[in-house]
Amino acid sequence: MINNQKFNLPDGHDEKQFIRELADKYATANEPAVVERFTIYDTFDWRLFNRSFVLYASANRLFLRKLDNTDIIHSARISSPPVFIQDFPAGALKKQLAPILKMRALLRLVEVQARSTPYRILNPDEKTVARLVFEKFWPLRHKRRPALTAHLWLRPVKGYNKYARNLVKHFQAAGLSESKQEDIFFKALELVNIKPGSYSARVNIQLEPDMRADKATKIILRFLLHVMRINAAHIEKDLDTEFLHDFRVAIRRTRSALGQIKNVFAARTTDRFKKNFASIGKLSNELRDLDVYLLNEDHYKALLPPVLREEIDPLFDYLRKKRSKALQKVIRGLKAKRNVKILQDWEVFLNKAPQDSATAHSAAFPVIDLACKRIHKKYSNIVKAGHLILKKTEDERLHALRIECKKLRYLMEFFASLFPRKKNDLLIAQLKKLQDNLGDFNDLSIQKETLLNISTQMPATLQQTPKTLLAIGSLIGTLEKERQIVKNAFAKTFTNFASPENQALFRQLFVSRAK
Amino acid sequence: MTTLAIYSNKGGVGKTAAAVNLSYLAAQTGAKTLICDLDPQSSATYYFRVKPKLKSGAKGFIKGGKQVYKSVKGTDYENLDLLPADFSLRNLDVTFDRMRRSKKRLRRILRPFREEYDLIILDCPVTISVLAENILNAVDYALVPLIPTTLSVRTYRQLLSFCKKKNHDVSKIYTFFSMVDRHKKMHLELMVRAAREFNGVLKSLVPYLAQIEKMGIYRAPVAVYAPGSLAAKSYQNLWSKVQKKILPGGYNGKKSKNTL
Repeated sequence: MINNQKFNLPDGHDEKQFIRELADKYATANEPAVVERFTIYDTFDWRLFNRSFVLYASANRLFLRKLDNTDIIHSARISSPPVFIQDFPAGALKKQLAPILKMRALLRLVEVQARSTPYRILNPDEKTVARLVFEKFWPLRHKRRPALTAHLWLRPVKGYNKYARNLVKHFQAAGLSESKQEDIFFKALELVNIKPGSYSARVNIQLEPDMRADKATKIILRFLLHVMRINAAHIEKDLDTEFLHDFRVAIRRTRSALGQIKNVFAARTTDRFKKNFASIGKLSNELRDLDVYLLNEDHYKALLPPVLREEIDPLFDYLRKKRSKALQKVIRGLKAKRNVKILQDWEVFLNKAPQDSATAHSAAFPVIDLACKRIHKKYSNIVKAGHLILKKTEDERLHALRIECKKLRYLMEFFASLFPRKKNDLLIAQLKKLQDNLGDFNDLSIQKETLLNISTQMPATLQQTPKTLLAIGSLIGTLEKERQIVKNAFAKTFTNFASPENQALFRQLFVSRAK
Repeated sequence: MTTLAIYSNKGGVGKTAAAVNLSYLAAQTGAKTLICDLDPQSSATYYFRVKPKLKSGAKGFIKGGKQVYKSVKGTDYENLDLLPADFSLRNLDVTFDRMRRSKKRLRRILRPFREEYDLIILDCPVTISVLAENILNAVDYALVPLIPTTLSVRTYRQLLSFCKKKNHDVSKIYTFFSMVDRHKKMHLELMVRAAREFNGVLKSLVPYLAQIEKMGIYRAPVAVYAPGSLAAKSYQNLWSKVQKKILPGGYNGKKSKNTL
């Protein structure tokens, strides 16, 4: 059987005239035109696009397909526009997208409208032997703009290939060419000035090895400021928790860069902004903690014995109320004059051209030397500290090691463009495994502590509900058990990280140049 | 994939009308549907305006495989294909009888379609011989139109005892009342009695209607030329009963519309 074929229609193409000419050769019948609307969705950080997926809604269904392929992979009925994965009906679509979307909200990117006019080609028995569909796409709410695309589909009917072949000849004689257009996804987004894949919180900058260290550091910091600004603009809308998260990470990275890339700016400047960013970061500590709790709601419930699962609901209701207050506090804080001024001053500083005479000891060094030195130093410290912990595992030491690992991670990401990518990525992956272990340990410790504190802070009415307290107690017990398991796993994780091979690789990448 | 035979050992009971309308309604729900016209009279094929011709005739049909596959025609309706009849199918009975594993030939012929279609509906000729056994062996369910007359009910009893004798699973046989004349007292009484006597009587009836006979003029399923008519409604009702009873899972039909 011949497959469906798509032909380009030139601008100003006259559909009626085309059909009239066709009617000289073939009997035709027309069917009512159908107008449909499509809404394209993705997350703010392009989770679907980055995996070549296109998710769109039309009528009351959601459809998933790959880019440049019109075959539907999955579809599902929906009763309201989807925002979170929890809103999806159970089924194959949800299963496929859950691990991709996770906690991120879907945003409506663009709406387009399609008008398709079907015609049938008939044989002398008035049997349909081929179908033609004229299809035109417009961006919705941009009525005056020209159509996005117009094309003609030839859809052969099984068993009547001869007709399809002759129609193709007819189209070609009429000057139509087969369409090999790029996906309409791109055209639709172009119209609303959205560049797919344009945002990612990952550090993505290109440095040159011989660049002056102060100049390179400013490039890194400008990127981080950009991420802060983009996300800050969305925190107020409270679409999902990750705008705040990305904002906080950008602040943490900035503080880390100021502390770790030493002696590139005047000490006074570095000190001032380190303090400033610490205070901005602190603003949202409570909100982020609450976010983490609420994101884990289902997980926590699963940890509880079934009889107590519903008893914990009052706690989460309480946390939700607390969160909306915390959110307002953050919004107010970010708008406060003092904080607005910090970011403005920061921007002015970053955009100032570096002076010829260095203002700090390392400012004029080639950035690669500084990068190697700092990364290797950090790495050696971590290996030393880790070995001490192996001898005696203390909570405080694990906590300190986690912070050090984070600093190393940030340094490696800031300077990634200076080193061979594959090897650098490999070392980052090794580091990540250690960080995951330390991170889990820290999360469980904090969660346990916070639960203990919360149970005393809760309003008296809740404290008098014995079953709720029982549920909280049971949860604390489970978290403590998990915490011990993670703690015990440290030795093995660290030994892997500090293996002779990894140490050699670190030396190879970062030591030779540092000297 | 589900296979359903519209079958009767009595002629003129509305088999083809039921097969054509049910296959159309199934396809409308999004199920990829194939209707096989096994009747050399080729009425179903005629209704779909297709030439009653199989590639390499009955010979090719019996051989199965590619030849049968190539004979399939798209109908005027989305998701609905037709395997046309051929006059040479009139000897199918005799031919099957002479072959090895003579009672499972049809099952083998239909095998290549299992992948592609959600539902295969067989429009069967009148038979109660080796072809009937082929049909019963090939399908998951058989649906027998039953006119509420004494002779028709008697023939149905014959069919059931034939099945029992030949060790066919009677529970896959369903029936519905066809060509019912509500003005005839006897029709009404017989329907009550039959519903009591037989298992698998679907609570749905198709009346005797001129609108249905007009299928020969319009050469289309009733719902196409007389949507909303009593005839269309009664087939719709029959389809929903069939779907509920024997295809409870429904389909994940991927309609070709809504593509961006």
